[in-house]
Amino acid sequence: MSSPDSCVHCNLPIPPADLVVDQIDGKELHFCCHGCQGVYRIITGAGLESFYRNRSWDEQGVPTGAFEAEYDEASLAGHVIRRDATTADISLIIEGIRCASCVWLLEKLLVREAGVTAIRVNYGTHRAVIRFNPQETTPAKIFTSISRLGYLPHPFSPGAAQRAAAREQRSLLIRFGTAAFLSMQLMGFSFALYGGYFHGIDPQIRQLIQYFAAAVATPVVFYSGWPFLAGAWRSLKNRSASMDLLISLGVSTAYCYSIYAMFKGGEVYFDTAAMIITLILLGRLFESSARNRSISGIDKLLQLAPDSANRLNGDEVNTVASASLTPGDIILVRPGERIPVDCQILAGVTEVDESTITGEPMPVLREEGDKVSAGSLNLSTSIKLKVEKVAVESFIARMARLVEEAQNRKAPIQSMADRVATVFVPLVTSIAIGTWAFWWFSGASHAEALLNAVSVLIVACPCALGLATPTAVLAASGSAAGKGILFRGGDILELTSRVDLIAFDKTGTLTHGQPTVEQIIPASGQTETTLLELASRAESGSSHPLAMAVLARAKTAGIQPGPAGPVTTVPGRGLKMQCTDGEILVGSRAFLTESGVGIPTIDSGTRTEVHVSLDGVWQGLLLLHDPLRQAAQQTVRELKKLGLDMVLLTGDRPETAQQVSETLALPDYLANMSPADKTAWIETRQGDNHTVMMVGDGINDAPALSLADVGCAMAGGTDIALETSDLVLTRPNLESLHIAIFIARKAMQVIKQNLFWAFSYNLVTIPLAASGKLAPVWAAAAMAGSSILVVSNSLRLGRLVRRTFSVAKPPASD
Amino acid sequence: MIKSIVILIVLSLCIGTGAWLFFIWTVKRGDFDDVEGPKYRMLDDDDESSTQPGPSQGEKK
Repeated sequence: MSSPDSCVHCNLPIPPADLVVDQIDGKELHFCCHGCQGVYRIITGAGLESFYRNRSWDEQGVPTGAFEAEYDEASLAGHVIRRDATTADISLIIEGIRCASCVWLLEKLLVREAGVTAIRVNYGTHRAVIRFNPQETTPAKIFTSISRLGYLPHPFSPGAAQRAAAREQRSLLIRFGTAAFLSMQLMGFSFALYGGYFHGIDPQIRQLIQYFAAAVATPVVFYSGWPFLAGAWRSLKNRSASMDLLISLGVSTAYCYSIYAMFKGGEVYFDTAAMIITLILLGRLFESSARNRSISGIDKLLQLAPDSANRLNGDEVNTVASASLTPGDIILVRPGERIPVDCQILAGVTEVDESTITGEPMPVLREEGDKVSAGSLNLSTSIKLKVEKVAVESFIARMARLVEEAQNRKAPIQSMADRVATVFVPLVTSIAIGTWAFWWFSGASHAEALLNAVSVLIVACPCALGLATPTAVLAASGSAAGKGILFRGGDILELTSRVDLIAFDKTGTLTHGQPTVEQIIPASGQTETTLLELASRAESGSSHPLAMAVLARAKTAGIQPGPAGPVTTVPGRGLKMQCTDGEILVGSRAFLTESGVGIPTIDSGTRTEVHVSLDGVWQGLLLLHDPLRQAAQQTVRELKKLGLDMVLLTGDRPETAQQVSETLALPDYLANMSPADKTAWIETRQGDNHTVMMVGDGINDAPALSLADVGCAMAGGTDIALETSDLVLTRPNLESLHIAIFIARKAMQVIKQNLFWAFSYNLVTIPLAASGKLAPVWAAAAMAGSSILVVSNSLRLGRLVRRTFSVAKPPASD
Repeated sequence: MIKSIVILIVLSLCIGTGAWLFFIWTVKRGDFDDVEGPKYRMLDDDDESSTQPGPSQGEKK
């Protein structure tokens, strides 16, 4: 089930210093910490061992701080919705859910807690609603039980925007359901009427069925079709034509004419009106459910900053809500905790993991007087901080604002269908008016002139036109999903096909974002093995990314570190260990030189040096760097073939950026870019009429991702990057990027073909209708034929994608 | 003839309306809020209380 040196619960490799051994049911089990041991005992104690068999975790470990989290009763109380004396609800987001088994485990275990009546965890959004009895338990107790299982709960109250989006989604579903139900009824009536048209029908019965048809069609037009009518009204007020206007025009003429014909004893077209609305609503429903997945973006960002902080009051430590901190307050942040608000360090030297903020994986040394940002993770020692900014002005909140601004600033794009409508609506209207004028002046009766004009409007009815885009979008998104690509909506597909400039973030996107040992240079008389053994012995207890890289290398080389001794960590420099063989020093060149170790000059390029010495004698060095993803080079080559321009935007040093862009043959690079620089750069490029795609993974990329025409994030990036992006690669595989662009371009081709066909249909039928020679039944048949053609042309897309990329490539697991 | 047609049509409309009301009820109840979950819950083989519906995920009235 798990190898002997990885934790039974969280699957992480166990640093030998932390090994916890437990005997359960006569088996010896190894854990990485007492927290994991506790979870295992809880789970097996409840008889739910099948969790370990069924789970599929792509990611190991538990969220940072899960076992230690403390919850403050007062700050949670605001999130509780009271129903009556013995029932209350609390909504939360649970961090650390990776698979269906996690949801199963949480539901099973929590419902056994005293006082918890019901729990429902949403598989897609990781949100949960817990119903409990406030007299028997408290929210803080429930939160603590969740965190003891290795998950991290956050209270969550949906914002106004989210509630509105959920309401919107529901009302769309009801509108569609209603339209579908009524259209089905209507089809039955229409069938009878068509039969009657060919074989004859008693006029009395025909009129009766027409009344029923009108009765079911009316709600479809005015209730289900309301979004289109409202949209048409808006575009009329703005004096611009849109797809909504075209749809409304077609639907309302078909409907009004049918009502008129019903009383005059003519043929009715209620089915045309109802079917257009139903089919187009279906398309919108698919699009909106894809879009709604991205709504909680800004919300998640704010949750990175911890909800509570330890305020120092003299010598006394009080747990308070982060929001209540004011500038000048002194707080204490222990190792493993996140910094709640922007602060300055008063006392202590530590290493801070700012990867969520800058995207750079290497911890940064921070000492007295330095500023630290909210959301960064304290790694090595406890520090005392002076609060500089209140929570709402802290880095994370500023970043959330930047994302929001970027989203607002992004100009709404006019979709292809809308652009078509801009030409089509005035054209059709003027032809209809022209037809009426022609017949009127050539001496036809008033009724006949009007009838011919109306039939122009009916045959111009955008059935195929309305289906052209949604079906192609559906087929493209479907085949893209099979390749691990998620387009959030049809407009994204369209924008992706137009992209001509791609900006890449470096760390975590083109590279793995984790350093690995690239080269081992032992001093003369030493071997690689002895050097690695010494280094891994000293670093075995450290969670520093460099130490992890060294340990991983030692593990793959099959090296068992010797007996460890007491370790002293010097933040930012290295560590010192006293053991039976003497004093081991592992760290930077400066650290060893200061301690009097002589080190030869070595050209290490842009790589990080880790030197090792034993009793003052240099033993050698390890060279580490953040390796490029396997597929990076090939992807860049493929994208060049597609004629795209590319650039590297990174917050890293120019030397590293230059080296990466040279290896990948990227045309250009820009280094030392802050999040604001990145957005500014993208905005300038957009001003030069470029369609820009940004590929990134960190929180620092979030504003750029939302501003870019297409923001693309990869699985494995931070949640916030995934949430603010429009295009998500659901597998950590850069190669999908050129497949995404290929699919998008093909989809646009298909949409253009569809529109072309829909137009050709109109080109033939409109003149016929205008001359008054088109029998209604032929018009209906032609319309159905063109719709079928459009749909099957769209389905061709799926086959095309399968054929092009069917060569089974080995899963690029990088 | 007309009479029986009217009766049959009205009957079919009534049945349809019943199905439609049922659909509205399920949407309001939040059954479409999590379309991923049921396929996993279905395989959840022990017969404990998990079948009872939890509190709705959506809006609170």
